[in-house]
Amino acid sequence: MILLESILDGIRDIKDHFGRTMLQLVGIILGAGSIVATFSLSVAGKSAAMNYYKISGGIQKISVFDKPTGKVTLDAKALASKGLTYHDALALKRDGKEIDLVSPVANENMTLRYRDIEKPRSIMGVTPAYSPMNDFRAGSGRFITDNDLATAARVVVLGTERAQEFFGSDDPIGKTMSINGTGYLVVGVMEEKYFSFDHKRNVMRWLNRQIYIPLTTFVTRKGEPLDRGKVSFMHVRMKDVKRNQDAVDEIKAILLREHGTKDYEVFSRVANLRRNEQNNQMYDMTFMICGIISLLVGGIVVMNIQLASFNERVREVGTRKAVGASPAQIFFQFLSETILVSIVGGFLGIVVGKFFCQGIAALTRDPAEITVGTAVWAIVFAAGTGLVFGMYPAIRASRLNPIEALRAE
Amino acid sequence: MSALLQYEEPQTAPRKALIQLDEITKIYDSGENAVQALRGVDVAIEKGEFVAIIGPSGSGKSTLMHILGCLDTPTTGKYWLDGEDVAEMSARALARVRNQKIGFVFQTFNLLPRASILKNVELPLLYAGVGRDERRERAFKALQRVGLEKRAKHRPNELSGGQRQRVAIARALVNDPSLILADEPTGNLDQKTGSDIIAIFEELAAHDETIVLVTHDPAIAGRTQRRITLVDGEIVDGETVDQ
Repeated sequence: MILLESILDGIRDIKDHFGRTMLQLVGIILGAGSIVATFSLSVAGKSAAMNYYKISGGIQKISVFDKPTGKVTLDAKALASKGLTYHDALALKRDGKEIDLVSPVANENMTLRYRDIEKPRSIMGVTPAYSPMNDFRAGSGRFITDNDLATAARVVVLGTERAQEFFGSDDPIGKTMSINGTGYLVVGVMEEKYFSFDHKRNVMRWLNRQIYIPLTTFVTRKGEPLDRGKVSFMHVRMKDVKRNQDAVDEIKAILLREHGTKDYEVFSRVANLRRNEQNNQMYDMTFMICGIISLLVGGIVVMNIQLASFNERVREVGTRKAVGASPAQIFFQFLSETILVSIVGGFLGIVVGKFFCQGIAALTRDPAEITVGTAVWAIVFAAGTGLVFGMYPAIRASRLNPIEALRAE
Repeated sequence: MSALLQYEEPQTAPRKALIQLDEITKIYDSGENAVQALRGVDVAIEKGEFVAIIGPSGSGKSTLMHILGCLDTPTTGKYWLDGEDVAEMSARALARVRNQKIGFVFQTFNLLPRASILKNVELPLLYAGVGRDERRERAFKALQRVGLEKRAKHRPNELSGGQRQRVAIARALVNDPSLILADEPTGNLDQKTGSDIIAIFEELAAHDETIVLVTHDPAIAGRTQRRITLVDGEIVDGETVDQ
């Protein structure tokens, strides 16, 4: 009952002293605004990163690269090792218990020709596992199959941009194109891959520019034995993200056994993600601290103005006490006024936060979205500030001696 | 009388008057020099009396008024109001007594400037926890008693001084108090208006309301039934009764 009256009183007060109230609220508005901006950017950034990982094969993807050791060694096996090979991929597939998919990739520039168009282009030798590993499928025709791999078939699959480049509007499937002078049958064109953080630049565009042939074909066309076929890198998919470290350790162990030296590097996306998250936390924290400092300063301003308004209203407090308001009733009246004003500040802060987000988004192209949860947090922080800094004026009002209050001018 | 009987405690207190002050002293202790504002005041006021407290300035009549109004507590002595010993109550308990048993009328009216007349009159009921509809109804009736029901929606600054004081009287009446305390109620009004206000008090007294009014104006004091004269913190004459 009294609470409701206090709130109505508070609203009347805000209306009567609109300018002063807005001034009082600047700190809280900015504080709540920067908290909104932090949350929004952070939430949106995280969800964009997760979407990116998902579209590029998920966080269970582990990358294995060559890493020349540069060390002089006399160990015969280590000397013989020439980095990652198709053999390693087969060993991982056979012995790895924590992994369910291995996709070795070899890469080289070759000359492509179809009719009168001839261009040097990068060619990838892959296995069928490449498609599920990267969540990237043939849009028409088919991808490289196990049969292609087993028979070292002379088939090629094109990315959309490459199909366009060599065949224009013609359907490339069933046509034969020349790669380094040998004829390859085009059996498929990949789907178009698109992902953007800012709705402007397609960060997956490079995938649309790929050309795939079976890895076995890639290796044996130069007369090399299949087993020793060099690969540029491998992607390995772990079975369970929770056992990320086990999977990484297992890969390292198998490769060490095969190579006799540590001439490889293993990167896990999970570890990467954790590192990113730590960086993000630092970033969030900085922004958050700014927000909290604004709220603190805002709170002090609120307290001062509330004290000033209390000095104006000493007589009113005296009157209320004379007609029977208890100290607690006066306390809650003042406190609810401050909290109400602060909540108004919180709402305005959400609006300001939206502008912040738009500004930052325009500068950095980072996406931002204000969620309901973010808005609730902003209000809670603002109300909390009102609660803390409204305490002192409210206590002073509640302890006022009614006789002195009534005497005040 | 029935309300009075409810609060009687036969074993500790024999029948008391509505207001009974026994040996009340009040000392303001401001460091080195303590000021004794009241030096053993004994007063009994019965229900329905219309009493003036008079005396020169500095005589302690304001202090006595504050103690009677439960705005302050005595240094020593006993004060029974409507059967309750209020001399040693907590701030919270005093607030309740002020709310339920006392109606104040001040020299400077002390209305809330931003609230309507009706809201001002409702104020004591608000703190008593009375529901909204009942509050409106009772406040409106109190305004009718002072003839201002037509101004219920106005704000205090739209009213004349006399009208404002009538609003204050309505506010004092709204809780149906045991005692109405008026502190120089005509001090800020011209003579004619002041006289009209006293006429309202006379009429209330005729309806068995208990009214204590503090004044330094002998003309106004002369219109009450009984005058208590304070000099230097002591009652020099407490029994001058007219009519």
